[in-house]
Amino acid sequence: GTQGGYGVPQGMSGAGAGNIAAGGYEPAGAPGMGGVTQSFGQMGLTPAGGIQKVQSLNPLFTTDLMQQPLNVAELEFPPPEILLPPNASLTPSPNSNCPPQYMRSTINAVPTTHSLLKKSKLPFALIIQPYTSLHDAEDPVPLVSDTVISRCRRCRSYINPYVTFLDHGHRWRCNMCNLTNDVPQAFDWDQAAQKNLDRWQRPELNSSVVEFIAPQEYMVRPPQPLVYLFLLDVSYSAVQCGLLATAARTILESLDRIPNADKRTRLGFICVDSSLHYFAIPRDSSEPSMLVVSDLDEPFLPIPGDLLVPLAECREGIENLLGKLQDMFQNSQNGSSCMGSALQAGHKLISAIGGKIIVLTATLPCLGAGKLDNREDKKLLGTSKESALLQTANSFYKSFAVECSKNQVSVDMFLFSNSYQDVASLSNLPRYTGGQTYFYPGWNATRSEDAIKFAREFSDHLSAEIALEAVMRVRATTGLRMQTFYGNFFNRSSDLCAFPAFPRDQGYVVEVAIDEALGKQFVCMQTAVLHTTCNGERRIRVMTLALPTTQNLSDVYASADQVAITTFFSHKAVEKTLSSGLEQAREALQAKLTELLITFKKELTASHVGAATPLSFAANLRGLVVLFLGLMKHVGLRKSAQIPTDLRSAALCLLSTLPAPMLIQYIHPKFYSLHDMPDSCGLPDPTTGEIILPPAMNLSSERLAPFGCYLIDDTQVQFLWIGPQAVPQLVQDVFGLPGVEHVKVGKTTLPHLEGPGSEFNERVRAVVEKSRDHKSKKVGSITVPHLYVVRGDGEPSLRLWAQTMLIEDRTDQGVSLGQFLAQLKEKVNNS
Amino acid sequence: MDMEQLKDQWVAAEEQDGVRLSWNVFPSNRLESSRLVVPIGVLYTPLKEKEQPPVQYEPVTCKAPCRAVLNPYCQVDSRAKLWICPFCLQRNQLPPHYKDIGPNSWPLELSPAFSTIEYKLARPAPAPPIFLFVVDTCQEEDSLKALKDSLIMSLSLLPPHALVGLITYGTMAHVHELGYTECAKSYVFRGNKEYSAKQVQEMLGLLAAGLRPQQAPMAPGRPQPHMPPSSRFLLPVQQCEFQLTNALEQLQKDPWPVANDKRPLRCTGVALSVAVGLLETSFANTGARIMLFSGGPGTEGPGIVVGPELREPIRSHHDIERDNIKYYKKATKFYENMAKRTAHNGHIIDIFAGCLDQVGLLEMKSLANSTGGHMILTDSFTSSMFRQSFVKIFDKDAADNLLMGFNASLEVLTTKELKVTGLIGHAVSMNKKSTSVGETECGIGNTCSWKMCGLSPTTSVATYFEIASQAGPAQQQQGPQKGLIQYLTYYQHSSGQFHLRVTTIGRDLSGPTGDPSIAHSFDQETAAVLMARIAVFKAEVDDGPDVLRWVDRMLIRLCSRFADYRKDDPTSFRLEKNFTLYPQFVFHLRRSQFLQVFNNSPDETAFYRHVINREDVGNSLIMIQPTLDTYAFDEPSRPVLLDSTSIQPNHILLLDTFFHILIFHGETVAEWKKVGYQDQEGYENFKKLLELPKEDARELIADRFPLPRFIVCDAGGSQARFLLSKLNPSTTHTSGGYGGVPQNAQTIFTDDVSLQTFMEHLMKLAVTGTN
Ligand SMILES: [Zn+2]
Ligand SMILES: [Zn+2]
Repeated sequence: GTQGGYGVPQGMSGAGAGNIAAGGYEPAGAPGMGGVTQSFGQMGLTPAGGIQKVQSLNPLFTTDLMQQPLNVAELEFPPPEILLPPNASLTPSPNSNCPPQYMRSTINAVPTTHSLLKKSKLPFALIIQPYTSLHDAEDPVPLVSDTVISRCRRCRSYINPYVTFLDHGHRWRCNMCNLTNDVPQAFDWDQAAQKNLDRWQRPELNSSVVEFIAPQEYMVRPPQPLVYLFLLDVSYSAVQCGLLATAARTILESLDRIPNADKRTRLGFICVDSSLHYFAIPRDSSEPSMLVVSDLDEPFLPIPGDLLVPLAECREGIENLLGKLQDMFQNSQNGSSCMGSALQAGHKLISAIGGKIIVLTATLPCLGAGKLDNREDKKLLGTSKESALLQTANSFYKSFAVECSKNQVSVDMFLFSNSYQDVASLSNLPRYTGGQTYFYPGWNATRSEDAIKFAREFSDHLSAEIALEAVMRVRATTGLRMQTFYGNFFNRSSDLCAFPAFPRDQGYVVEVAIDEALGKQFVCMQTAVLHTTCNGERRIRVMTLALPTTQNLSDVYASADQVAITTFFSHKAVEKTLSSGLEQAREALQAKLTELLITFKKELTASHVGAATPLSFAANLRGLVVLFLGLMKHVGLRKSAQIPTDLRSAALCLLSTLPAPMLIQYIHPKFYSLHDMPDSCGLPDPTTGEIILPPAMNLSSERLAPFGCYLIDDTQVQFLWIGPQAVPQLVQDVFGLPGVEHVKVGKTTLPHLEGPGSEFNERVRAVVEKSRDHKSKKVGSITVPHLYVVRGDGEPSLRLWAQTMLIEDRTDQGVSLGQFLAQLKEKVNNS
Repeated sequence: MDMEQLKDQWVAAEEQDGVRLSWNVFPSNRLESSRLVVPIGVLYTPLKEKEQPPVQYEPVTCKAPCRAVLNPYCQVDSRAKLWICPFCLQRNQLPPHYKDIGPNSWPLELSPAFSTIEYKLARPAPAPPIFLFVVDTCQEEDSLKALKDSLIMSLSLLPPHALVGLITYGTMAHVHELGYTECAKSYVFRGNKEYSAKQVQEMLGLLAAGLRPQQAPMAPGRPQPHMPPSSRFLLPVQQCEFQLTNALEQLQKDPWPVANDKRPLRCTGVALSVAVGLLETSFANTGARIMLFSGGPGTEGPGIVVGPELREPIRSHHDIERDNIKYYKKATKFYENMAKRTAHNGHIIDIFAGCLDQVGLLEMKSLANSTGGHMILTDSFTSSMFRQSFVKIFDKDAADNLLMGFNASLEVLTTKELKVTGLIGHAVSMNKKSTSVGETECGIGNTCSWKMCGLSPTTSVATYFEIASQAGPAQQQQGPQKGLIQYLTYYQHSSGQFHLRVTTIGRDLSGPTGDPSIAHSFDQETAAVLMARIAVFKAEVDDGPDVLRWVDRMLIRLCSRFADYRKDDPTSFRLEKNFTLYPQFVFHLRRSQFLQVFNNSPDETAFYRHVINREDVGNSLIMIQPTLDTYAFDEPSRPVLLDSTSIQPNHILLLDTFFHILIFHGETVAEWKKVGYQDQEGYENFKKLLELPKEDARELIADRFPLPRFIVCDAGGSQARFLLSKLNPSTTHTSGGYGGVPQNAQTIFTDDVSLQTFMEHLMKLAVTGTN
């Protein structure tokens, strides 16, 4: 065994494994309470006729932030339990309420009045992630396939586990608006089997997350096929850095992964430099031909057909083209890009059908429509003028995006520039069209890590079973109103969000307003995503969340979800940054936290006086301090004169799109100690088969022992930190090298050691791999983080970068967690 | 000398120098010259094929600015090594390598037999000849297929080093990058937009690449960077034959959908302007042919000649006359500007129309007319008329060089009595002023130099002159004084060298006023052709009736001046032998398609006028007054009058209008043929009779360019109208009963006056002396 073999002093081992009982927030010394509460919660869901329990909500536990530091494991806890009144749902199904990965609320007990909500200073918002994986098979959802869709006549809500049946089951009362509706005749009839159906088996009455196959009425036209139009940069820098070759090869190798079950998927390619290079791929020929259009005034299609072709029928031509692309442009000397015009052309090509435009570019679009200047001025970084650089430079990107949205065209941006590319402007296209911006700064295919990362991500992206021509609407119990929507889509009308393509790797936030006093014991919110699957089926994914109401402020606090709240404020901070500026965004975050602490102190704690006053807060919200600090110190928001604008813009894109589990880690990275990880770590759990990760640690450099080996992971990058005094055996076991001085720092792939003594290397690799695993986080994502090896005495810039993740530390422009708490305390006490 | 001898002399001069003159004696004063009525003119064929190969040395030229070339009319002092230039009278030193010349070793250019001599200059052309095909793809499959076949076949006719390029067009114009080997590649221009030359060059990437961030090292085995950027589009045939053949074979009908009530969108204007722009960048003043193959009218973008709506017909002569023309003026202007630009660049535009309807030749005519391009008007690219005419363009000489000259300039020098007043033919002015330039203007004047981008061995230009001096010859010299003209044709030979063709002609100056030698020297055939060119030139700008009136007036004045008559007595009217045919020529010219446009489409008119402006005297005369031969049993064929009386039931007629060759079977012959006597034993002579005109027709067709339309018809058949329209209506429905016309003559339904009536009028007017 290697445990303890690396000079680890006794007592350091297992730090962070603390005394936290799984899933509870009760203070130390009250073990088991959380477990009891959870059991009660489950009992509350027991079927009618079982043990009845008077409705009770989560109890409020107060903690002193100064005395009882956060154990980072708490950030992984499930949200405070949703405790509904007995018999709230139609059936005793364990699936009747919405799991948090699909939809979670910032508060799991809803104030009955607007004024109570206002008083709480807490946000009321839903964090929505309709898809939790890239592929249906990984997270199937119950399907209602008989096209019998029963909806409320008035509020158009879908029948769900919280309606009530009346009149011997012939009618149902809407849980949103109380209207009584007829049960459809076919509701209890199995059309296929031609026999009666047990209504209680219907998925929509048992499961809060279901998908309906939509009948004809839900289509304004036949379901569109999946369309991918690739806009490939072929200018000098794109060819030189190997982007073109890698992109072409990846597409080629991913052709079988692109969803095409219905054989209708169509592909098109336009290569872009200062001209547009279209490719005609005739069905009857394996030889593609290139059509160059240099007239950018008003993009036009050079030929009426053969530019967007069925993958199944034109496979040979497509493969031939992709195989040749690199050779076709290998001598490119063209340094310009007319990507804006290319987008217009692409829009023209696919707008009749709709679909995805995937842009892969390494060049600032400097020609044609939407042309951009290199406006980044290093002198402005860190000043109040920096924020302007984060805003869109050319209105084209907003107005064109709206045009795309109208025509069911979605844009994804894969950006690779070695120099300024204006991510701020370009990211508008994905933002309003349900796309995503993927940023690969300084990417070069000659570094195999770069090539592999992009190829894997891009291939996964292509394989994702995206939905098409989608709209999302959230309905709620009378009295509630969807107020503000955050995420990448176009807000078409007050409560309708349009997604030309619905991605599977993003989350959305909807702020809810309480317009009228809520008279019910619980309220419901229902998200419906009407869409066409990539296989040409029209479907509706419906998610229904029921939450108890309360008139009690302490209930509200006790049921507040710190992960959801941080997600909400992450979106708010990005919005604030883009509208007002970075400084304002940071200040707003700090002000909000202060406000919550003051509110908590004033409303929910007994009065204290004097310097010894604790800084009290709800135990379940204890993580907010470090999460807000993380947000304020995040590369997207922190005060610094060193962060290139593109990097910031890309980070802002992620802060406003990542699904909550990834977002929290992006704000508050995972920090594992590897050299002393328990023997079970890095090996499969005997029961689940999942690799066991070491306990996560607080993000403080105090944890970095000079002889240790650590992993820091913010989901986008991973740092493997090796202390300068690491013993040779550790270096040997991890890297297969004789001493720490031999360890090469920078972007790398861990060596795959074999033979006797390679077990530790294997475990470390397993931990690195598991830490990347999206499935266990219940999110869909294509991200494959880069792994950087950092030596405690190595290259300073890399070291400093890694250390920016240790957000509890004090930095040049940022306070330590201790200082932050002290500031907060001072403000609270002075309030 | 009698008339026949004179004529032989003229023919010999034509043979040697490629010249025919309206007057072979020049009047020695201005007054006399003004009374000639028909101007002094020379129909000159600059590249007329010669037996002698070009000489391989540089010409000896007079000092600047004269630059006349040493010729047989120069006085040479072989001892002093001097020569006197007859044009400027300057003395010039002979070059050192002429030191040994003398009576026994005379340089060729001084020999009278070499009054026309061609020099192969040491200067090579900057690039091999260029052929840029511009192909209309809005065509039916069979027509496009035939065109593709012709084009592919033509590659084998081109010199291997010739550069070729391909532009195709329909709704849009595609420039094919033949140098690209990874896949078929073309640059696409939208069809409805006018592109400037600079835009075309930018969009094809022909401008210096200043956009690149840094120079990347060139991969080995790549095209050398010093190649002009246009080499991606224009490559030696031998290098790109495979690629081009592929591109042509892959050509498909324009893929854009066309509604039933619409014409296809065809951006002829954009395609041509892109072609012109492509050549302009890298190959200005290098021989190049843009060959347009048009399958229909331009309906899109600049140069549009008719809208895409089918219910909107293309303009007719009547529409133009009534000014009921939507696109005509704009399109004409567009193509005129393009023609100027192209001519300025030294490039040729050929137009091949393969369409039953009009393609807009009228609007586009300046393209061919200004650049020396060909115009071939056919019903379809499947026709042999197209195929064979097209192939003929690539005829080669004995040394296997294409019979075409490129980027030529023609300069005219004259001795001081003569001044050049202009040129009519396929050329543009180079605006060069010299002492040889006259005060008046006939055709393209006010210059002594013209650019002729395209020349073939038969291209003939009409040059016109006036007499400058007020009084008689100034110097006293032995022998008759001569007026001299020197033609200097500097051009890019298809072999890749520049050549200079020098033709120097001298003609006697007349004696004092009233010298009868002037009248004797009148070449009526040449005169008719030269006057026809002026009439056509006028017809392009003036109204038809005005031109006819001018033609009539000139004829009457000529007759008043040169006929023998008693005043006011038409019966006394007599013409000298060398004038007798002239009125007939004019009679037919008046009736010809050149001046009577309403029986033809505007495109046909443009075509006919184009052709007459490039042919020599012989061919032009056939166009003006077609030939008619008759074939009967047991007698040799013989020419007959172009008169309805020549139609006989048991004869076969062979009509040659230059554009049409027609065999007409008299009524009886037609009946026999129908019955099939020619296939029966014992009727071999009938079979032979049927064959004879066919053989003769084949012979005529063989040399003809463009290939004439060949028609075989019977009396009473609908095709016979081609013949009837050409015949003198000596028997019309108005003159039916009188005139002693043979019973079996055909009656022509026409309101035209007959030749007889015409002559009567002419005699009456000529003798009154009022004109
Ligand atoms: Zn309702
Ligand atoms: Zn001279």
